[in-house]
Amino acid sequence: MESKHDNKSQNYELFIQEIESTDDYWGPTFRAIYDGDEEQKFMELLDGRIKQHDRDIEKMCNYHYQGFIDSIRELLQVRSQAQKLNTEIVELNTSLQQSSERVMEKTEELVKARKVEANIAATIQSLQSCLPVLTTYSKLQKQMKEKRYYPALKTLEQLEHQYLPRVANYRFSSQMKESIPKLRENIKEASMSDLKDFLENIRKVSARIGEVAMRHTSEQLIVDPGIIKKKKKKAPHPPNPFTGEVDKEEGLDVDDLSAQDLIDFSPVYRCLHIYSVLGSRGDFETYYRKQRKQQATLVLQPPTNMHESIDGYKMYMHSVLGFFVVEDHVLNTGNGLIDRTYLDELWSFAVGKIVNTLRTHSAYCTDATLMLKIKNLIMLFITTLRNYGYSVNQVFEVLHEIRDHYNEVLMQRWVGVFREILDEESFLPAEVETQEEYDAVVSAFPFHDDDLDNSPFPKTFPFSPLVPNVYQQVKEFIYACLKFSEDLGLSQGEVDDMIRKSTNLLLTRTFTGCLSSVFRKPSLGLTQVIQIIVDTRYLEEATVYLEEFVSNITGCRSELSLRAGKEAGGHLFGVARDDAEKQICEKLKRKLDEFVELEAYDWLLVEPQGHASSFITDLIAFLNSTFTSFTDLPGEVAQVACKSACEHIAKSLMGMVLNDEVKQISMGALQQLNLDTIQCEQFAASEPVGGLEEGSLLCYFTDLRQLLDLFMSWDWPTYFHDYGQENSKYQHVSPNTAIILLEKIREADKKTVFSVLKKSERDKKKLLETVLKQLRQLALTASQQQQ
Amino acid sequence: MAKTYDYLFKLLLIGDSGVGKTCILFRFSEDAFNSTFISTIGIDFKIRTIELDGKKIKLQIWDTAGQERFRTITTAYYRGAMGIMLVYDITNEKSFDNIKNWIRNIEENASADVEKMLLGNKCDFPEKRQVSKERGEQLAIEYGIKFMETSAKASINVDEAFFSLARDIKTKTEKKLEASNPPKGGHQLKSYEPSRKQTNWLSKCTIL
Repeated sequence: MESKHDNKSQNYELFIQEIESTDDYWGPTFRAIYDGDEEQKFMELLDGRIKQHDRDIEKMCNYHYQGFIDSIRELLQVRSQAQKLNTEIVELNTSLQQSSERVMEKTEELVKARKVEANIAATIQSLQSCLPVLTTYSKLQKQMKEKRYYPALKTLEQLEHQYLPRVANYRFSSQMKESIPKLRENIKEASMSDLKDFLENIRKVSARIGEVAMRHTSEQLIVDPGIIKKKKKKAPHPPNPFTGEVDKEEGLDVDDLSAQDLIDFSPVYRCLHIYSVLGSRGDFETYYRKQRKQQATLVLQPPTNMHESIDGYKMYMHSVLGFFVVEDHVLNTGNGLIDRTYLDELWSFAVGKIVNTLRTHSAYCTDATLMLKIKNLIMLFITTLRNYGYSVNQVFEVLHEIRDHYNEVLMQRWVGVFREILDEESFLPAEVETQEEYDAVVSAFPFHDDDLDNSPFPKTFPFSPLVPNVYQQVKEFIYACLKFSEDLGLSQGEVDDMIRKSTNLLLTRTFTGCLSSVFRKPSLGLTQVIQIIVDTRYLEEATVYLEEFVSNITGCRSELSLRAGKEAGGHLFGVARDDAEKQICEKLKRKLDEFVELEAYDWLLVEPQGHASSFITDLIAFLNSTFTSFTDLPGEVAQVACKSACEHIAKSLMGMVLNDEVKQISMGALQQLNLDTIQCEQFAASEPVGGLEEGSLLCYFTDLRQLLDLFMSWDWPTYFHDYGQENSKYQHVSPNTAIILLEKIREADKKTVFSVLKKSERDKKKLLETVLKQLRQLALTASQQQQ
Repeated sequence: MAKTYDYLFKLLLIGDSGVGKTCILFRFSEDAFNSTFISTIGIDFKIRTIELDGKKIKLQIWDTAGQERFRTITTAYYRGAMGIMLVYDITNEKSFDNIKNWIRNIEENASADVEKMLLGNKCDFPEKRQVSKERGEQLAIEYGIKFMETSAKASINVDEAFFSLARDIKTKTEKKLEASNPPKGGHQLKSYEPSRKQTNWLSKCTIL
């Protein structure tokens, strides 16, 4: 029994273990317990066990209690600490939160900045690619502004081809691209407008250029008069042996430089360049030439009042010259802008105009001094043009024409000079009171007379001051003539010929003309005319010296000139002298007419006064005193004058007898006329002037004498008997004249009432009628014979 | 031929050289003036017809040379003269002084009844005057003749002088004609006897 019990207790232990060890599936264990019937014992054992466990738990709880309290205590401690920690952490968190907030901000900023940075970088990059375009463009603008069109054009090209493609996607670039052709056009226009400015300027300046060129020429002429010829002969510079280039610069003289100095030619070159670059060089050439041609036409149009003063001519020539100097310069430097042919053509067109202008305008000129100035100007003009290589022969010819005109003008001037001399001239022999005065006259006029030389002062020359004055003036005239011919390149022969011709004209035409206007003056007395005759004779004698004078000047052989001189001298002053001689007769006749007008014949005079009529006595006395006063009158002139006076008196007297208005003439009146005629005949016979042939004055009264004789002697038988015979006593009495006078006498006879009553008177009357009849018959046959 | 005038008076201009005789004549005959001095040689004359009281009078005026050398020629013309103009230059004392010589010339050569007149020429030139008008007047009174100051240049009194002289001659001539026409006789002598006396008497006065 004990082993059986112990076995049983062991089972129970197992069971409990089983239950303790498992949490569930307690069923089989319970069943096994319940199946073994010992449940009470098990219960006891279980209780025992629970009790044991409780004890264990109690023991254990007792054991762990202090620890437990400590732990709780500790736990409490931990809890507060944890709480503390927690707040700390929260605080930390907020502070962290706060501090990180700024960081966050900064970070954001940083991010932004980074972004901006990146953008900037990108911008810079793109800008850098655009920049050259813009700089080029601005360069272009600048160049345009500075009018450097050619570089501008280059820049434009660069811009177009190099830079713009790189930045094609910008709007401005496309705009630029669009504007390029416009710019090009602008450049073209701008350069053209520059050219236009140039053309305008050149028009203003070209006169100055011409003036400078002419001044240079004149300076050159002063420095070296031979330079023109040298220049002409100077060959063009030989080409440089190294480069083969013709050294142009050296060849250009100062004038070219001046032209360049005066005006900037660059617009032309630039424009030419630009147009060449733009491929329209041809257009440009045509344009330029056309413009210049138009300018030439303008330049060649002379100022309207050019002929008035030298300034007008100067202006004209300066402009023309300036024009051609410029063209020459352009020809030389213009790179073929104009060529020789063009210029030659232009020049030949111009030269015609110039010639015409100078011709017409100089023709208006009436001032010799001005003409000389013009001539010098033209000479300078010609020389300068020739220096520039223009052919000037035509202009030169005009100069010759102007010279002819100049001589005409000179003659006009000398008309004034002569007139002045003549106006102031008293036509009295020149009187000198001192040796100086004497020398002055002798030096002015080639005259020598020993008697005069030795005679005491005051001395009287045979001629009036007119002679030395005119002689001097002729010399002056010759000098003046010469002045124009100077450096005209004429041969001595030509000059000589010209002077001779002009002098001849001056004396035969101008001087004579002036004298004849003097003759027309009513105040000019006979004395003066006589002195003029004397003067012209002295002048004529001095012609030889004038000839010598001309020969000395021109250097022509004196033989030739003297011979020519004598030919010319024959009528140099001769015309004037002839005129003066004619005048003396005219003046005398006019005086005689005045006497004749005073005639107061009573044509019905019964008895003559017994002495000559007073007008005839006065007239004869006047003639006598005139011819005795005029001792200076050269013999043959006096003779001619005296003859013409007698002829005139005779004619006047005859005219009175035959005058239609005198209807009746009494025998008494006829006797009175006879008395007067006798007076005249006495005068004629008295040899009032020496050197006349005997009877040469009387012959003028023959007609009248025979007529008077016939009627006084009533010698009709002889008249009819001798009629037609050469030695007839009444040869000069024509039947017609006789008829006229006879009829007048018949009329006068009718008045005497008583005559009819007397037989003798009746017979006389009958006779008269018969004579008249016969005379009429004679006249009839005479006229028939004539027919 | 019908006579173109009623009277012909011959007048004579005398006086020193340069007093302006020719100019006076030129002014009277042509109404012109020429300032250049041209001395007359020998003798010259001009004719002008004037009208006085409806009568046409031809004046033949002889212009004589003042220069001594022509004296013989010129004195021959005194006799025929019916009126004589004695001319002096108011700017030339000597020409005035010489008037008495000219008067003597007249007395010696001219007919006794010649009408005379004294002219002081160049009165347009007062700044150079040497002979006062009063002296001229005085001298004229002494000789019992008329006096005028003239200027040929300014045309002062030239016509007046000639007209005055011509009128005096005309009056005298007409008186003579009246006297000689119906009762012919010795009246003629009487007409100019007194004038002769007068001049003589006056000239004596000057000598005294």
